[in-house]
Amino acid sequence: MSNVEYARMKFYCDETLCIDCNGCVVACKEAHEVPVGVNRRKVVTINEGIVGKEVSVSMACMHCTDAPCQQVCPVDCFYIRTDGIVLHDKDKCIGCGYCLFACPFGAPQFPKDGAFGTKGKMDKCTMCAGGPEETNSKEEFEKYGQNRMAEGKVPMCASMCSTKALLVGDSHEVALIKTYRSVKKGQGISTDSYGW
Amino acid sequence: MENSSFFNRNKAYIYTFAGLGLVGFIFLEFLMVVDWNYFIKYKLHILFGGSLDGILVPATSSYEAMSNAAFGPNYEAFAPEIIRASNERQLYIWWVFVAEIALFCGMYLFQGRRAPVVKNPNDQVEVFNLFQRGVIWLNVAIMITLIITGFNITWGLRSGGGELAFLLRGMHEMTGLIWIPVWMLMSIVAFKDSKMLFRNSLTRKIVIPGTYKPMKRIIYYFFVIMGAGLIVSGFIIWFLHPDAYTNAQFIQFKRMMLYVHFGSSVLLMFFIMDFVYSALVAVKGNYKGLISGKYPREHLEQIAPDVLKELDEKKGKVA
Repeated sequence: MSNVEYARMKFYCDETLCIDCNGCVVACKEAHEVPVGVNRRKVVTINEGIVGKEVSVSMACMHCTDAPCQQVCPVDCFYIRTDGIVLHDKDKCIGCGYCLFACPFGAPQFPKDGAFGTKGKMDKCTMCAGGPEETNSKEEFEKYGQNRMAEGKVPMCASMCSTKALLVGDSHEVALIKTYRSVKKGQGISTDSYGW
Repeated sequence: MENSSFFNRNKAYIYTFAGLGLVGFIFLEFLMVVDWNYFIKYKLHILFGGSLDGILVPATSSYEAMSNAAFGPNYEAFAPEIIRASNERQLYIWWVFVAEIALFCGMYLFQGRRAPVVKNPNDQVEVFNLFQRGVIWLNVAIMITLIITGFNITWGLRSGGGELAFLLRGMHEMTGLIWIPVWMLMSIVAFKDSKMLFRNSLTRKIVIPGTYKPMKRIIYYFFVIMGAGLIVSGFIIWFLHPDAYTNAQFIQFKRMMLYVHFGSSVLLMFFIMDFVYSALVAVKGNYKGLISGKYPREHLEQIAPDVLKELDEKKGKVA
């Protein structure tokens, strides 16, 4: 019996630090050559312009542990790696859009590149972990973008975040960073201890 | 006297609505997990408020406001049902058709087939003109295509996805777009009840002759209403395409439209199959007439005297 505890990779965006610069959005699009009209990442802002009340959060696929997209997909194109990253196989995808209906975050994106604007294959954040094609192959890049994870690198969005609002990594480590920021006031980045 | 009672005159309507009410109640009450309270309120909110975002009550906390802005409201109202339906119902969908076909087979066994006696097959009467036949067969071809391609998700479930199911899905969208004018033309051509409202030379040329019997009338109105539901919802599902930035504003509306689309398709499919059975299987000789447009006079005398009467009236043969 194995007691190995795998990492569970998660994003976390600290809304008290996010300044709505959209650097993460641009970095993602640039790194993966994401087509026009598709955004794997977005920044949502509420109370825009109201001083003291404006908050922003950077969002993409949250790589859910119990991913609704995987549950709803009729062709089982989703698969979850042992480290929790939710990936999909574009060769299986039929573009039905069910994952979009099921996703609470609006992560699945569909290029309108078919005849008269019909949907193409689904595209979403891979946490820079590519897809089922051979790692770092041309095919993998064309379908899913860079596989930075395989190179031991942080996903592009988090690595480019100027305020370090966007964190990525094993959920325990991310929680530790957030805890450290909350309790170590005056040392490095400090934020409130609560979320929304 | 018994035959002219209210029940006998309206039993097709009574049975249809009682049956639909019973099946609908069981289905909605026990087999679905949609939040119907929200479903109804949301529709009213769209009608009277004009907002599609699904936020029925303004957020009372910054957390709720953030959640609404980022994800859209009330995720649990529709999405869990979509997740359930895509997996469980897809596996049972074949049995719905098996049950329906079994029902018609039973009717065929017990009631048999009406076969009019035609002694003079050369005495033909033109019932459908070229325009009407064109619309009818175009509608048939498009509906068959829509039904086959509409099962792209079911095909995908069986095949594990791939290019064929992907192609079928795209084809369904394109064919649906073509069906919009054809559905409209078909609704006009088959609007026999229009003769109760107006009778002029144009409607006589366009609208097919005869009057509706109760069951056919139900089928016609279901075709028109459910067809409208399919077209509107299908068009919205296709073209209202929330991107990353507009997802929260539109996704709830899109989810609701998926229900409208599926509900309309289920009801339309049932009545279309009923129509195919009653018009083409239960009566011998109807099929050929739909191609040539002509029927033997004796066929019409026995099967559709109302059609013959109207055609004769048109030609001024009836005194």
